Amino acid sequence: MAEIELVNVSKSYGPHRVLHGVSAAFARNRFSVVLGPPVSGKSVLMRLIMGLEPVGAGTVLLRGKDVTGEQAGTRCIGYVPQSFALYPHLRVGDNIAYPLTLAGRKRSEVRPQVETLARKLRITDLLEKYPNQLSGGEKQRVALARGMIKETSVFILDDPLVGLDFKLREQLFVDLREMLSEVDGTFIYTTSDPLETLALADHVFILDEGTLLEQGELNELYYRPRQVRTLQLLGLPAANLVPGELRGGRCRTALGEFSVPGFPGGVQRVVVGFRPESILFGVPAGYQSLHGTGHAMLREDLGAETLIYFEVNGVRLVGAWSNGQATPVGGDTVPFAVPVEDLLCFDADTGENVFSADSLAAAAPTFSRS
Amino acid sequence: MSEIRLVHLTKRFGGLQAVKGVSLRFLPHTTTCLLGPSGCGKTTILRMIAGLEAPTSGQVWIADQDVTNLPPRRRDIAMVFQYPTIYRGLGVFENIELPLREQKLSPAERRKRVENAIQLLGLNGSVNKDPSRFDNGTRQRVAFARAVARQSSILLFDEPITNVDPESKFRLKQDLKKLTQELKQTIVYVTHDQNEAMTLADQIVLMKDGSVLQQDAPRQVYNHPSHRFGGWFLGNPGMSFLDHPIPPSGAGLLRSDLFPYLVRLSGELPMDARLSHKVVLGVRPEQVQLRLDASADAVPCEVLRKFLGVAGQYLAAVRLREHTVWVKCSNQLGRKLGRQAYLRCSPGVVTVFDDNERALSVRLVRHEELVKPSQPSPEAMGI
Repeated sequence: MAEIELVNVSKSYGPHRVLHGVSAAFARNRFSVVLGPPVSGKSVLMRLIMGLEPVGAGTVLLRGKDVTGEQAGTRCIGYVPQSFALYPHLRVGDNIAYPLTLAGRKRSEVRPQVETLARKLRITDLLEKYPNQLSGGEKQRVALARGMIKETSVFILDDPLVGLDFKLREQLFVDLREMLSEVDGTFIYTTSDPLETLALADHVFILDEGTLLEQGELNELYYRPRQVRTLQLLGLPAANLVPGELRGGRCRTALGEFSVPGFPGGVQRVVVGFRPESILFGVPAGYQSLHGTGHAMLREDLGAETLIYFEVNGVRLVGAWSNGQATPVGGDTVPFAVPVEDLLCFDADTGENVFSADSLAAAAPTFSRS
Repeated sequence: MSEIRLVHLTKRFGGLQAVKGVSLRFLPHTTTCLLGPSGCGKTTILRMIAGLEAPTSGQVWIADQDVTNLPPRRRDIAMVFQYPTIYRGLGVFENIELPLREQKLSPAERRKRVENAIQLLGLNGSVNKDPSRFDNGTRQRVAFARAVARQSSILLFDEPITNVDPESKFRLKQDLKKLTQELKQTIVYVTHDQNEAMTLADQIVLMKDGSVLQQDAPRQVYNHPSHRFGGWFLGNPGMSFLDHPIPPSGAGLLRSDLFPYLVRLSGELPMDARLSHKVVLGVRPEQVQLRLDASADAVPCEVLRKFLGVAGQYLAAVRLREHTVWVKCSNQLGRKLGRQAYLRCSPGVVTVFDDNERALSVRLVRHEELVKPSQPSPEAMGI
């Protein structure tokens, strides 16, 4: 059974509709990530689940029970918000205990609970310190603990790393799953960051402009996205998109054309998408691919990887050269190829997948380029 | 144009020493990135160069002049801030032109400079629009153009692309690359983002806790960190570290988790490193390889976690005998990776640090003999 279920939830502020009929089930003991660009409605959705705001329409079920009309206090959900102001005059231990002492419980009484949680989150040595003695990462760990001190099994982490330093974020999202591994519970985590999502999620929900576009297992969404926005949002750097046209069993794009036998007749405007890692540099000729020579725009050195941005016939593409070696394409011209089996094709209007590698393979395409 | 020289520069804020006796040179026609985590003092240094902050002690020299006590407007500096400034009610052209009006320039000269800056930053399509309606990225490009039009000998950037959307970030990085290639100015750029620094800088100044740890070309800082902190801070993620005792009489022989054979420290170990009886081995995630099958040069390991990262690669945390190490591997291998794997590392790629976190000039090499189960352990051999 789902711990939390949303049925057709909508929300408007005045004439402005921010959530459109969202239905989602967050499974027990799973790490669910809601991934969406800024202002896609993630925080509003979390506030509706918490009960901090009333829903416009629809139902919120908590462990099967309709809680739509209930106050936040009775829902008992742990909450780690974006901004994590700790009380400067309280020691870390008392900061963590605050939600409980606020509810009238004695400090001495909740102490064992604080210590148990601190041990699970590996911050025991911080308990006696004051917030101004902590590093940024330690502060965030303490804020996390404060959000999780409630005796509950549902925790909402609303973009908890946004605005932190690059390195700090990396360190926290790499460690977070391990930190939480000893805490039983259902985690709902929102972010706009693809790397955080890839490192943390069991299950992913793609939210865009207030609409839940797609949901599923992380790997399923990464390798077989059904929506073009999923391909774009879930991955770094963002996937390459090239407009194209399907006509008479062939797909024409600015990078060349390829045949799609078995595709029903008629004309359709499409978007052809492929990930940066699908772009091959320095491959032998004759490979079944879209290929050509691009003009280099920018090389980004990430240390272990180089991202190569280049332009071909007015289309900007990005590829990656991994494993820390010097790139084979150092100059202004960038010869490249994309294997045809890596191409995904989406309807230009609905964004839905028209065909993918699998269906192409099944149809055994005879590839040609004109 | 003008070299910037900092001489034993110090800044205190109350009890906090934000900058601790920093001496640096910033060369003309060079982009130097001040890189480090928040609170390392990088922005304070930039503000002292600009004259927006007075040093507690030490001097700032620009060209051959001590400017420590000169106000900002007399330092021949243009600066771009984290949050772009747009003068409301003025068009794009006027926004870029405004600082030039304070200089004794002919209207024709002003026009020429503004138009050049507009050209350089590709703002031609935006000149007739209202800049107060621009998104942050375009506003920042106007701010870039305003700084460029000044033609000052020094250009300072304070995390200029932190608060813009990804598309603008890409444009601004391209712009910065172009600026640094086409302008002959001394450019100082502050960032906490190592990727930005690696991509944009000619020189990186790596800072921590108010001090400079290393100043070098980006690849040098990445490949040869002078300090453990640099090994960790650069890279996504950075190095994994393995602590190793060095037995006093061991002739530099080590038995490390990373190798199925003995390795040797090649080169003279400094006295204090020998006295601490400890070295730290640092290895980057892309410098070690995972394999699915056992081989004579690989050690068995347990895969604790794996997940997708940049450009479809997998990042895996693997447990060796006593240490956990991060490894990057290809998508094909990562997908197949189960609980058990084998790790291969070439001793030559390992960076050796001393107990005080400084990199040593010694290298690791493979000791001739393989460790076989039948042989006595190094401990038993007294090493």
